[in-house]
Amino acid sequence: MEVRLVHLSKYFGEVRAVNDLNLEIKSGEFVALLGPSGCGKTTTLLMIAGIYIPTEGEIWFGDRIVNDLLPKDRNIGMVFQSYALYPHMTVFENISFPLKLKKVPMAERRKRAQRVADMMQIGHLMDRKPAQLSGGQQQRVALARALVKEPDILLFDEPLSNLDAKLRLTMRGELKRLQKDLGITSIYVTHDQVEAMTMADRVAVLRDGRLQTFSTPDDLYNRPQTLFVAGFIGSPPMNFIDATLVQENGKVVVKAEGMRIELPDELGKRALARAKSDRVVYGIRPEHVHLDPEGDIEAEIYVVEPLGREDLLDCRLLGGSVMGVLAPAGQPVGPGDKVRLRFEAEHSQLFDPETEHTLLW
Amino acid sequence: MTQQTVTAQVTPHMDVSWRARLRRFTTPAFFTGPAFVLVFLFFFLPVILTILISLTDMSVATISDIKFVGLKNYIRIWRSRTTWKILRNTFIYVGFTLTFFNVGLALVLALITTHIPDRWGTAFRTFWLLPRITPSVIYAIMWTWFTADAPYGIVNQFLQIFGVEPRNWMSAQPWLVVIAANGFVGASFGMIIFTSAIRSIPVDFLRAALVDGASTWQRIRYVILPMIRWPILFVVSYQTLSLLASFEYILLLTDGGPGFYTTEVWSLHAYHRALSNYFGNVQFGYGAALAAILVVIGVIASVIYLRVFRFNEMVAEPKIEVI
Amino acid sequence: MTEHAGSRWIQVFLIILVALLCVPLVVMYIWLLEAAFAKQTYGIVPSGFTLSNWRFLWEGFKNMPSIWRITFNTLVFAAIVTVAEVFFASLTGYALSRMKFPGRRIFLSFTLVLHAFPAVTLLIAIFYVLLVMGLYDTLLGVILVKAALELPLGVWIMKGFFDGISWDMEMSALVDGCSRFRAWWEVLIPNIRPGIAALSIFSFLSGWSEFLLPYIFTSSFENFTLSVMLRRLIGDFRFVDYGLLTAAGLYYMLPVLIFFIFTQEYLLNIYAGGTKGTQI
Repeated sequence: MEVRLVHLSKYFGEVRAVNDLNLEIKSGEFVALLGPSGCGKTTTLLMIAGIYIPTEGEIWFGDRIVNDLLPKDRNIGMVFQSYALYPHMTVFENISFPLKLKKVPMAERRKRAQRVADMMQIGHLMDRKPAQLSGGQQQRVALARALVKEPDILLFDEPLSNLDAKLRLTMRGELKRLQKDLGITSIYVTHDQVEAMTMADRVAVLRDGRLQTFSTPDDLYNRPQTLFVAGFIGSPPMNFIDATLVQENGKVVVKAEGMRIELPDELGKRALARAKSDRVVYGIRPEHVHLDPEGDIEAEIYVVEPLGREDLLDCRLLGGSVMGVLAPAGQPVGPGDKVRLRFEAEHSQLFDPETEHTLLW
Repeated sequence: MTQQTVTAQVTPHMDVSWRARLRRFTTPAFFTGPAFVLVFLFFFLPVILTILISLTDMSVATISDIKFVGLKNYIRIWRSRTTWKILRNTFIYVGFTLTFFNVGLALVLALITTHIPDRWGTAFRTFWLLPRITPSVIYAIMWTWFTADAPYGIVNQFLQIFGVEPRNWMSAQPWLVVIAANGFVGASFGMIIFTSAIRSIPVDFLRAALVDGASTWQRIRYVILPMIRWPILFVVSYQTLSLLASFEYILLLTDGGPGFYTTEVWSLHAYHRALSNYFGNVQFGYGAALAAILVVIGVIASVIYLRVFRFNEMVAEPKIEVI
Repeated sequence: MTEHAGSRWIQVFLIILVALLCVPLVVMYIWLLEAAFAKQTYGIVPSGFTLSNWRFLWEGFKNMPSIWRITFNTLVFAAIVTVAEVFFASLTGYALSRMKFPGRRIFLSFTLVLHAFPAVTLLIAIFYVLLVMGLYDTLLGVILVKAALELPLGVWIMKGFFDGISWDMEMSALVDGCSRFRAWWEVLIPNIRPGIAALSIFSFLSGWSEFLLPYIFTSSFENFTLSVMLRRLIGDFRFVDYGLLTAAGLYYMLPVLIFFIFTQEYLLNIYAGGTKGTQI
């Protein structure tokens, strides 16, 4: 089932929780709604579920506007952060509840509930009450309950955030595989960018109720549309420096105090064509900056943060800007050491400081 | 570039379908309807009726030919000599019961039961609920016997030890009995509220007081009491109102006597005038005027409580909008 | 509060103090128990055991319907009041707690105002309303009045219990295929059973003990409840048979005592819950 949000807005009094949101989700696609808390992602999800009534705009399922359709008539399945199992029902009753409401005969209810439960590996727990299950098992029951009525659309509201780290990793993989196997259009709300990036086909980044960007994880990471997205995606976060964009000897060069980077021709041309003034925000990810004695940028180590596999070095450029550098663990440097840095210019990002929009993609 | 340009045929914003619109009305109506009807019939309507009846000369004698008499009933109340006696009685009743029992005894019980082991505390608090759930009629029988003449009365039996001359205490000290009987019931309300207020005082405050070397008494005086002044104010105002209106126990104990209006309070007087056949001619109009004064006080006071105690702020918006 | 005051001796002293405060009440209840089985009592001292005080169970009282009829009336009164109150309160409490509809805030404010409002002052007008509706001197009329007068408290208590249920669970029910009504019935109600139990006990006891309403709004023998009957007995017996009176009283009190013994926690909760949120 294809889902389209058209000029969708939701106001709570003066607060615009969702502001003119447009989104097209393809049939069978796994889309993540990503953003910090209060960005409107859950509100959007609840509007799609039919729990919230949109202030403006339309929600389309296929070729049908569903704004006035009750949640029960939308044929959706939903998994909540708190699992939201019914404590007074057994696992079987929980899973088969949607079927009971659809007046499916008991025998078939049993069959279908058992099938889904087996798929979720909880087939042996059917007679338990939710309180007797572990968090992971409860999560599986919730998932089974969402799947049992063979919904057109699956909605997830941070379903993994109550699980411990290890279980979360397992469930992440399982969920993704399950979604691909069943091919059900899925919308997944999360504030965890790793979850969004690893699971989703496309990620919609929201901020203050507005859509920042809607693209594949690859685009999101390597070709961020806005300054916010660039800063929000990736850990440790991208480095930003206020710089000027100039032309020198036919080359496009980004300059800041203590820093000079020649852009590759292609990027340079594009940036020059789009820039409205010579002032830009230059961005580069920590993994694209290297300690290199041959490098042409001088810096001084400020802090060393060992991350295990790598060290994150906070380096201070001559101009005073601080630059995170990801280097293999065990660098023989410490605070105060003078180092030289080499930037991978082809991984540069440039943004308009006014519109915060990219100048490159 | 993956910037999303919406090509969907943007239809004009669809109006909510009539079905959904109807649902938004019928579903809440279904859920709140029965309560609304009952509340309308037995709260709203009576409030208005009380005031309307009070402006008529309705009585058993005039029931077939009711006349509108304006404020005549109120003027009669103002001029009646018994009014002042009854007003005085009401002050005595409300003032003493409230001070000594509904707040005083309640506070003592709450303080003591929170300062002894919890098992004991709960047991005592539970016990004090007993008078509240005892049917009022039985409660009145117990008090009657408690205060009865020698050789039956329990009070007399006890006071005999000290050589006090036996008497029927209900007749000898009607106020004492009326106030105590009401107070023993009323104390539990404040007790429960004060207890949970004391319990909700952060333990840190109490520890700090202990560390500062405060005695138990100082701790109560300087830490606990100041911190529960809002609950105390709540109980005072709430119970003033309910005492003003209550007459059930007095009706059962003394019925306003002994003698002429000795313990007749305002609400009991209204009842006697309007609903009791005791005086032969039942005067709805006059009784309603007496009641209307209480009703107006009640409405104003409860609206004020609503504001002062900020009940409104406890109202959270529902998270499900669809109906 | 977890710490207890001072030394062991202070604790003992406090316990004795509060116990002394209880003495008058304890004495009264003891008297009620023993006087029902005694030929005569002098103060707290009974003299002579007898069961003849209980003869009303088979003989009935003079000029009154049989005790069983009266008991039945009282039971019907209390039971219907309970069912009506719990049912209406859980409908309205749900709507006020969980539904967005125009007038919700006003409705809630009214519930609270009525909660504080002394309904007894309205008896005169209610008398008139019943008269007009043709419900004066009927059990149904008294039941309706009783249910109505206790409704604000009941609604408030039920609202409190509904407030405590997770929103996710109800959303889940709606997505699973429930209407709001179905969600209320199948998912929310089963999860507020403690609330329903508490309110049921409360309103049953309150209905069972009710005196004023049946006393004022009924007059015929066939509508007598135990409280009205006892009031009559006090009138008739003020000077005589206390043994009979206390036995009848104890008989009337028995369900209350039983409920009290087995459901104290619920009761303590409901009295606290009825004033929830006032602990500012």
